[in-house]
Amino acid sequence: MEMDLFLGLGILLFSIGVIGFLIRSNVIVLLLSVELMLNAVNLIFVVFSRFIHGGSTGQIYVFIIMTVAAAEVAVGLAIIINLYRQFRTLDVSRINFLKG
Amino acid sequence: MEQIIFCFLSTTLILSALGAIGMTDTVNCVMCLLAAMFALAGLYVILGAPVVALFQIIIYIGAVLVLFLFVIMMLDLKKAAKGLAVRPFTSGLSILLICLIGVIAWLFHRSAVAVSNTATLPVFNLTQSIQDIALALFSRHLLVFELASVLLLVATIGAIVMTRK
Repeated sequence: MEMDLFLGLGILLFSIGVIGFLIRSNVIVLLLSVELMLNAVNLIFVVFSRFIHGGSTGQIYVFIIMTVAAAEVAVGLAIIINLYRQFRTLDVSRINFLKG
Repeated sequence: MEQIIFCFLSTTLILSALGAIGMTDTVNCVMCLLAAMFALAGLYVILGAPVVALFQIIIYIGAVLVLFLFVIMMLDLKKAAKGLAVRPFTSGLSILLICLIGVIAWLFHRSAVAVSNTATLPVFNLTQSIQDIALALFSRHLLVFELASVLLLVATIGAIVMTRK
C-alpha cells in the first residue's frame, strides 16, 4: 500500500469537513464537520506513525486528540442547548447578537 | 486483497462523509458520520493500529455520536433548523480554502524527502501493540495523559454548569 493514497484520503476528508463547516448553517452539522476534520488529522497521524516514524508515538497523539474532541463535543453541545434556549433556533445566520 | 478492502473502506468513508455534511435531516447526518467512523476504524486496522480502531469505535461511536443523538432528541429540530439552508458568503470562502489546502498539499508533496512509500503487510498483533502503547503512554507521555484527564474533568464540569437551568 502506498502512503500517498492514505494521505490523499486524509486531505479529502479534511476538505469535506471544511466545506461542510463553511456551507451549512445548522449548528449541529457544524460540530459534525469539526469532528470530520479532527478525524482526518487522526488518520494522517496514524499514517505517519506507520510509514515514517515506525513507533507508537503517533498513536499516542491520536488518543490525546480523541480526548480533546470528546471534551470539545461535550462543551459544544452544552453551548448548543443554551443557544436553543435563548434563540429557539439552530440556524447560525439567525443567531446574530451576542448579549442574550 | 488489501487493495480491495482499502478501496471499499475509502469509498464508504468519502461517501458517508459527504452524506454527513449534505443530508437534510440532522439525524441522517449523524448516522452518516457513524458509517464514516466505522470505515475509519477499518482503515486503522489496515494501517496496523488495532488499538486506535478499538478506541475509535468506543469513544466516537459509543460516546460522541450518542451524545449528539441525545441532544438532537432534546431539541425540537422541526422548528429549529429548516432544510438545507446554506450561507452564501462563507460558501464562496470555502472554495478559496479548498484551493489553499490543495496548494499546501502539493507543496508538501513536492518538497517531501524520500521516505519509504510502501509498507509491508501490517502485523495484526493486538497484545504487542497494546503493550507498546501502554508503556509509552504511562512512561514517556505521562504528563500529557494526566493533562488530558484534567481537561476531561473540566469539560464535564463545564458542560454540567452550562446546561443547568
